[in-house]
Amino acid sequence: MAEYFFELLVEEIPAWMHDAAKSALQEKLGKLVESLSVPADSSSVCINTTPRRIAFMLAKLPLREEDREQEVKGPPKKSAYAADGAPAPALIGFLKKNGAAVEDILDSTDEYVRIRRKIAGRETADMLQERIPEVIQSLRWPKMMRWGAGEHLYIRPIHSIISLLDGAHLPIEMFGIKSGTTTPGHRTLAPAPLEISSYNDYVTRLELARVVVDATRRRHVMAERARVLAAEVRGTPSIDAAIWSQWQYLSEYPGVVRAEFRPEYLALPEEVLVTVMRVHQKQLPIRGADGKLTNYFLAVLDNDGDPEGNAAYGNSFVTNARFADARFFYETDRRKTLAERVESLSHLQFQEKLGNYLDKTRRIERIATAICAAIKLDPAETGEAARLSKADLGTEMVKEFTDLQGRIGGIYAREEGKPDAVWQAIYDHYQPMNLDDALPRGLAGAVVSLADRMDTLTGFFAIGFKPTGSKDPFALRRAAQGVVQLLLNRDKREVKIGIDTLLALAIAAHGASASAAKDDLLAFFAERVRTILEASAWGFAYDEIAAAMESGWASSLTDLVDRIDALKGVRGDANFLSILDSAKRIANITAGHDSTQVEPALLTEPAEKRLNELAATVSDQIDDMIAERHYRMALESFAAMAPELETFFKDVMVNVGDEAVKTNRMSLLRKAGGAVMKIADVTKIVVDRRDYRS
Amino acid sequence: MSRVTFQSLILRLQSFWAERGCMIETPMDLEVGAGTMHPATYLRVLGPEPWNVAYVQPSRRPADGRYGENPFRLGKHYQFQVILKPSPLEVQEMYLDSLRAIGLDLTKHDIRFEEDNWESPTLGAWGVGWQILLDGMEITQFTYFQQAGGIDLAPISAEITYGLERLTMFLARESSVFDIEWGAGFGYGPVRQQDEFEFSKYYFETADVDMHWKLLDIYEGEARRCLDAKLVLPGYEWTLKCSHVFNTLDARGAVSVTERVGVIKRVRDLAVRCAGQFLQSREALGFPLMDRKIS
Repeated sequence: MAEYFFELLVEEIPAWMHDAAKSALQEKLGKLVESLSVPADSSSVCINTTPRRIAFMLAKLPLREEDREQEVKGPPKKSAYAADGAPAPALIGFLKKNGAAVEDILDSTDEYVRIRRKIAGRETADMLQERIPEVIQSLRWPKMMRWGAGEHLYIRPIHSIISLLDGAHLPIEMFGIKSGTTTPGHRTLAPAPLEISSYNDYVTRLELARVVVDATRRRHVMAERARVLAAEVRGTPSIDAAIWSQWQYLSEYPGVVRAEFRPEYLALPEEVLVTVMRVHQKQLPIRGADGKLTNYFLAVLDNDGDPEGNAAYGNSFVTNARFADARFFYETDRRKTLAERVESLSHLQFQEKLGNYLDKTRRIERIATAICAAIKLDPAETGEAARLSKADLGTEMVKEFTDLQGRIGGIYAREEGKPDAVWQAIYDHYQPMNLDDALPRGLAGAVVSLADRMDTLTGFFAIGFKPTGSKDPFALRRAAQGVVQLLLNRDKREVKIGIDTLLALAIAAHGASASAAKDDLLAFFAERVRTILEASAWGFAYDEIAAAMESGWASSLTDLVDRIDALKGVRGDANFLSILDSAKRIANITAGHDSTQVEPALLTEPAEKRLNELAATVSDQIDDMIAERHYRMALESFAAMAPELETFFKDVMVNVGDEAVKTNRMSLLRKAGGAVMKIADVTKIVVDRRDYRS
Repeated sequence: MSRVTFQSLILRLQSFWAERGCMIETPMDLEVGAGTMHPATYLRVLGPEPWNVAYVQPSRRPADGRYGENPFRLGKHYQFQVILKPSPLEVQEMYLDSLRAIGLDLTKHDIRFEEDNWESPTLGAWGVGWQILLDGMEITQFTYFQQAGGIDLAPISAEITYGLERLTMFLARESSVFDIEWGAGFGYGPVRQQDEFEFSKYYFETADVDMHWKLLDIYEGEARRCLDAKLVLPGYEWTLKCSHVFNTLDARGAVSVTERVGVIKRVRDLAVRCAGQFLQSREALGFPLMDRKIS
């Protein structure tokens, strides 16, 4: 059993790329180890990265690959042998080429000569020399670069390579660099080269040279340090997974420093302070026992301490500078109210053909008010929130911290003394930003969010901007996705409205010319609905979603979910096949026929008379159940009609010469089966009949 | 070490990079937003010729002006720019040595290289690199140029841009840029604060908008005429003037979002033409710097 060790020394790799690179490498190395006929378990591939290093160890490798046998196809039997049965030149040549003899020829049933050839396994060393450079060079990084003469393309310039098989140098070469057995320690604290003999040796020597190889350990060290430093000022570090996952890759020698900003900046809105620290400075705020921000914060260090206080000074310096600017913006902004800012939105272009943000604001307000009317909500607060929703775009604060749009408006509205419903709606109306994001906390916020998104979508579609393939520069997919998320919600914030109504309101706000975009928009929304439901926690299958959407979706998404849910519930039942088969036969026979008006006088066969009586009662029941959205019960009631339907299909001929009788029978089938089609087009459900055999 | 001044920093960086084989250029004598726009960077990174250069560049960003009231923001600041072409493999170490040369003991400070890529839509240029953080503060922008004027670069240049005021403030432990010493007992504040105030007043309140729109048309026309006449360097200077006029209009709040896209495209089209023509002209000259003798 052998151990292989590898290190690539590179210039600093962006922190956010490490995790993805590690898992890609894990997969590639796992395959490589498996190709040596060793089952790759968690202990056989061990990968570590630091900002400057990609290192891995492959454990328990055999010294050579196992020998393999391979069947090789030779010449056709016809030309392989002479008339006397002796090997012809074609066969002799084939055998010679493969180092085989006549005895190696297999009994084959087809017209070709076949032999079995032994392939000697290669030495593991040879295999690694060939495959390791391939694995490393084939790693794809999100943004690659060239350096120096420009021949190579990688995440950052490569400096050195260690390649060791059982402690001995196994020479490889890539990016014009030949491997060796040394690596430097920490860039500034211990830069001397270290001679490495194994993975364990690497970890130990680097640790002495101020490099902690394992990212998880770096993180633990930093987390503990952060806790202690925060506790010293009677606080706790904010919980922030995004910061931690970056910090662990921003440092080789894990450390944390506590710094402080001038207490007067605590008067700034907390969101601004937190955004400056987290997003702009990658710093972690410290909160006091009361949960409030303190003027202390934490920053990552590539060193285990800050004995002379330089890092504390530098971090304070830069954060104070940022906050000084923020306070300047804040004070400038508060000279005008949001309402006073609305008119000047006319100077801010939304889109050339869709006008400026004042135009957009007016449309949002109009759509929001119309939604309120449709859902019977007093429009006063929602309308005010809509009118002020974009006013913060003209503030200095949003110009500087664009990702705080909406929230800044909300904060300023709160400070102006607006009611909760108003300021919260402004604050929240960009939510949800993605599938995991929270929805606006109140109904007004949900309505403004819907109005804003519907305006954007309808506007862009109306002027011919539709996302195509990966191109979606105006993030219209995300806008539509947000609409769907909002409409799927069912709590106190549920906006009981359908996409069809929303579209009509948005088109009205844009003018009649926008109505040409209606079909495209509906199709676009349908696609979002399918995608979101399929990815949702409900675990709906594609065919269930498609079947239920066939019976309508645009008037209510919560209703759609109820219908899909019913379908999902019954599809595993033993009698689901009878629902499916009956529905299919009805659909086939009555294609293009819509009437459910049955003329009893024309019914002659006992089976059709019975079906008519049953359908009269059951169909009404099903209609009632559907009206009350008891879809599962409705489907089960339909299943109860199945035996009668089977008898009907056995005894009664629909396609008869007498047109009146034929039409009447089709109407009967429609009457019996039509109700179900209001829930879903069950014929779209894909079943494996074996699953239903009892 | 003695008190760090603005000029001591410049002198040390200049002698450091001169010793590392750089030619010391002088600043571009036109208004530019960054050292990158100096022809010694934007044009010289094109083509195969080697080029090692360092220079100070006063960089004008009208919109960043704060009337001399903000201790950290300036409408004109000074960059120290280094171009190493091709980028040597040891360029990061050279950079760290430059910090040691200005008096920093790096074992007592925190130095980190955090991803920060650079892209200039007006120049059709982009690069990959880092912001370099000294004790958490950005003091340098480090970029491996990948493209300029829409042209893929080979060899690749490393661009190192030091923010001189920031660095001086930090080393001198001053909390306002106006409190640092320029040199010889002259304070940065007394030397420059009036300049910051007047130009903020000018760019934000006074600049004649109509005239600047006219200038943009005139400068653009002249840039085109030069390029048509195969005079790439004059053409590039008129392009830089267009860029500054645009920045002025922008600070004055006179450029709408739609107009912005249009003006940026006008400047970029000129810059891209300059890059292409410069490369052709160097080729026609037989790339004269290819046989540079390093003494």
